[in-house]
Amino acid sequence: MPEQPHEPEGAIAGTGMGATMDLGASEAATLERTPAGPRGTGPAGKPRSLWSDAWRDLRRNPVFLLSALVIVFLVLISLWPSAIASGSPLQCDLARAQDGAGPGAPFGYDGQGCNVYTRTVYGARASVTVGVLATLGVAVTGSVLGALAGYFGGVWDSVLSRITDIFFAIPVLLGGLVLLSVVTSNTVWPVIGFMVLLGWPQVSRIARGSVITVKQNDYVQAARALGASDSRILLRHIAPNAVAPVIVVSTIALGTYIALEATLSYLGVGLKPPSVSWGIDISAASPYVRNAPHALLWPSGALAVTVLAFIMLGDAVRDALDPKLR
Amino acid sequence: MTATTEPILEVDGLVKHYPLTQGILFKKQIGAVKAVDGVDFTLYKGETLGIVGESGCGKSTVAKMLCHLERPTAGVIRFKGEDITRLSGRALKAVRRNIQMVFQDPYTSLNPRMTVGDIVGEPYEIHPEVAPKGDRRRRVQELLDVVGLNPEYISRYPHQFSGGQRQRIGIARGLALRPEVIVADEPVSALDVSVQAQVINLLDRLQSEFDLSYVFIAHDLSIVRHISDRVGVMYLGRIVETGRDAEIYDHPTHPYTQALLSAVPVPDPEARDHRERIILTGDVPSPTDIPSGCRFRTRCWKAQERCVREVPALAVPDVFRAVSGPAAHDSACHFAEERQVVPAEGEHGNGPG
Amino acid sequence: MLLEVRELQVEFRTRDGVAHAVNGVSYAVDAGETLAVLGESGSGKSVTAQAVMGIFDMPPGRITGGQIFFQGRDLLKLREEERRRIRGAGMAMIFQDALSALNPVLSVGDQLGEMFVVHRGMSKKDARARAVELMERVRIPAAAQRVRDYPHQFSGGMRQRIMIAMALALEPALVIADEPTTALDVTVQAQVMDLLAELQREYRMGLILITHDLGVVADVADRIAVMYAGKIVESAPVRDIYKAPAHPYTRGLLDSIPRLDQKGQELYAIKGLPPNLLDIPPGCSFHPRCPMAQDVCRTDEPALQEVSDVRGSACHFWRECLHDRDH
Repeated sequence: MPEQPHEPEGAIAGTGMGATMDLGASEAATLERTPAGPRGTGPAGKPRSLWSDAWRDLRRNPVFLLSALVIVFLVLISLWPSAIASGSPLQCDLARAQDGAGPGAPFGYDGQGCNVYTRTVYGARASVTVGVLATLGVAVTGSVLGALAGYFGGVWDSVLSRITDIFFAIPVLLGGLVLLSVVTSNTVWPVIGFMVLLGWPQVSRIARGSVITVKQNDYVQAARALGASDSRILLRHIAPNAVAPVIVVSTIALGTYIALEATLSYLGVGLKPPSVSWGIDISAASPYVRNAPHALLWPSGALAVTVLAFIMLGDAVRDALDPKLR
Repeated sequence: MTATTEPILEVDGLVKHYPLTQGILFKKQIGAVKAVDGVDFTLYKGETLGIVGESGCGKSTVAKMLCHLERPTAGVIRFKGEDITRLSGRALKAVRRNIQMVFQDPYTSLNPRMTVGDIVGEPYEIHPEVAPKGDRRRRVQELLDVVGLNPEYISRYPHQFSGGQRQRIGIARGLALRPEVIVADEPVSALDVSVQAQVINLLDRLQSEFDLSYVFIAHDLSIVRHISDRVGVMYLGRIVETGRDAEIYDHPTHPYTQALLSAVPVPDPEARDHRERIILTGDVPSPTDIPSGCRFRTRCWKAQERCVREVPALAVPDVFRAVSGPAAHDSACHFAEERQVVPAEGEHGNGPG
Repeated sequence: MLLEVRELQVEFRTRDGVAHAVNGVSYAVDAGETLAVLGESGSGKSVTAQAVMGIFDMPPGRITGGQIFFQGRDLLKLREEERRRIRGAGMAMIFQDALSALNPVLSVGDQLGEMFVVHRGMSKKDARARAVELMERVRIPAAAQRVRDYPHQFSGGMRQRIMIAMALALEPALVIADEPTTALDVTVQAQVMDLLAELQREYRMGLILITHDLGVVADVADRIAVMYAGKIVESAPVRDIYKAPAHPYTRGLLDSIPRLDQKGQELYAIKGLPPNLLDIPPGCSFHPRCPMAQDVCRTDEPALQEVSDVRGSACHFWRECLHDRDH
């Protein structure tokens, strides 16, 4: 397995911090807001930003380290699956259908005689692509719309709030079955598009609330008193301070998008063969579960671990960015 | 700093009402919070005008309107004779350079994601004509030095500073554009006692150094007296009494001012037994439902029938019109009379020092 | 003595290290006496009071030494259950922010009455009647009607009266008021302080008044303890301290109050910044800001020395401070 590019460096630097117990901002507040001179300069004498504080929290969090390890591995195999799996996931030999483990096929063969190991490795690509792109789409659409509504308020805010209410009322699976069954494309795009369509209201609601809270800070008033333009206030002052909840919600949602992709593919409206996806494999393997349980277990195990890793990452990020939510 | 008679800021009939609405999509107005309800004052070049009042009296809303952070419902603000109330776009931006604000809470008035250099330098990015790009860092360091901070702190973040230091950073930002007027809204009330004096001294020094005029808003009467040339007392959205500092503090004629002054705890235990205190009954009425006539009458021990019917004007009361003396200053009371509530200077001398 | 705190030490663990919030504080309060604990933020004045009440969170807080005797018993040796019985009935606390100290979803009558139901086993009906009585006692107009109202329906001053009523409900021997009037307006502040002083006289309670306001202290306190960096630096009867402070920090605080004869001049200001509790200066913790500091102050920590039989000062040069009236 290739080395992860930045992880070890962080872990080593973290040990230099001393073994003090972590204390959330809320608890520290009971300390009568300790005033102090210029302080908190890091060990190298460099001033720390709040982001580097969060980073310092993260790299000492075992939950983060574990989930990050799994995720880095997943990203690498979805970029270069051939590095650890030989052959093609579409190269199947019916003669080997439902066979157990053998040379070159540690996970055995499925009902169509395809190599389960190869298919599981290649299946990561669909999950990671859908998860990451859907999350990006949702985060960008949702936070832009939510931030604009929260910042400008007025009629657009009311209209947007009603629209999000309508979207919240749409059942995800039913919506997916209806909307995606009319699509014939065999790429990941319809699935991603569907997730963005149903996912943005959640993020926009979070972003809107966060922007409204940040907007009330005096530093926003101060920028306005200086004559700063709306775009400057939004980008320089509000966005950096309002983005944390959006990041937290998006990271946690990433895991559920991956699960949703598998579910939709299982139901036959997500990705369709010859695409390779854990959902398709789980669907195909379920009729033979008595004869060839391995064909079901490996892709569903991979799916479970992936979803769990992203949810754990989301938890760790939330702890680091917003100790009050703990 | 000596004040001149050249007005720099004139405020005339300033009103701010916040509508109270009901309904989700179609909003219906059902009333209004009358935060500021007709305020007039003039700020002369080089002077400090103190505005005192209790919470909810509208003093902070006045500050926001002066800095164009709120749009007045009615009334006019003139800067050097020019009506700036309804400016927008480029003209507004130009005026803003001249009126800057210092905020109350040094913990929320600085963006936690920006370095001190970015915070103090931001005015130059918004008004690039003030300082060429290459010169900005030097100017920011100069400003930090002026407000008593180490110029090397330029790349630190606000959370690395104490409250008093943060307030200095806020003051440096306010000074960057070389404004002529600074509106300070409770600039020291969030600070520790030992640090308050440092910041007051700094503001005092900057006033003479940079030829500034201050509107100084606070609830601490002794600090306002120390720094102000003239004082206006606000109650429920209006100025009820205004005059030179000695006129207000030593010769108050409005009953609210008298009660306010007498309620201030005096740091002298010897005075506690023979001090006359006016304890007002009840609370300040809601700004959505301001009493008719004189707005102070519901808590006033002198209130009579006339106070219910007739709004008292802010002018020199009839009884004092003939005399000239410190009692003859503007006071919005039908039954204004002089009453000394703060021990005179001689009796006050037994503090340490 | 009603309450005696001896050599109390409290620390907090923070992500940047250990904050020494209270470093050997001793004070005593008698029945009917008002002790003002004066200090700035971070001086440890509130943390000491919270330790006496037993209400701060552990962890991150930790009491590392000292004793707290209340009516002869060391509170720190009692079980949590016994301490709970003392809270409310034996000692009570009034907080700065009444709105967050009162439960927003219960009517004030229910909250006041609960004290009698829990501690005295009264029926709900009797408790309600006592609640109305208490509200009348703290002069809330139309108490019988307003007893069903919720905290947000009262003004700030009225809410603080309700807090006082709650604290006094079981007639505790000791009341700790932590900045009780800081959040209130001056005119309302005077009403509330007057009420508190009157009730204290009536019930002969011991009162610890925690504040940063020298004016409030002068108005109501009998004795005063000045705290700095988690220590008491000066302790004296209130008149003595205002006449002639025996610690340079106290003197600095008194001198920085704007006075009439100083108008137009620079205010006296204590130089420097309040100490960082993570890194308290060695020797006398006030020495970096002190105009009288000598070499000995940088190395030797001054103990609280006896100035007279009723006052003490933790300054090597308290004599000079006491006599040197101009600096």
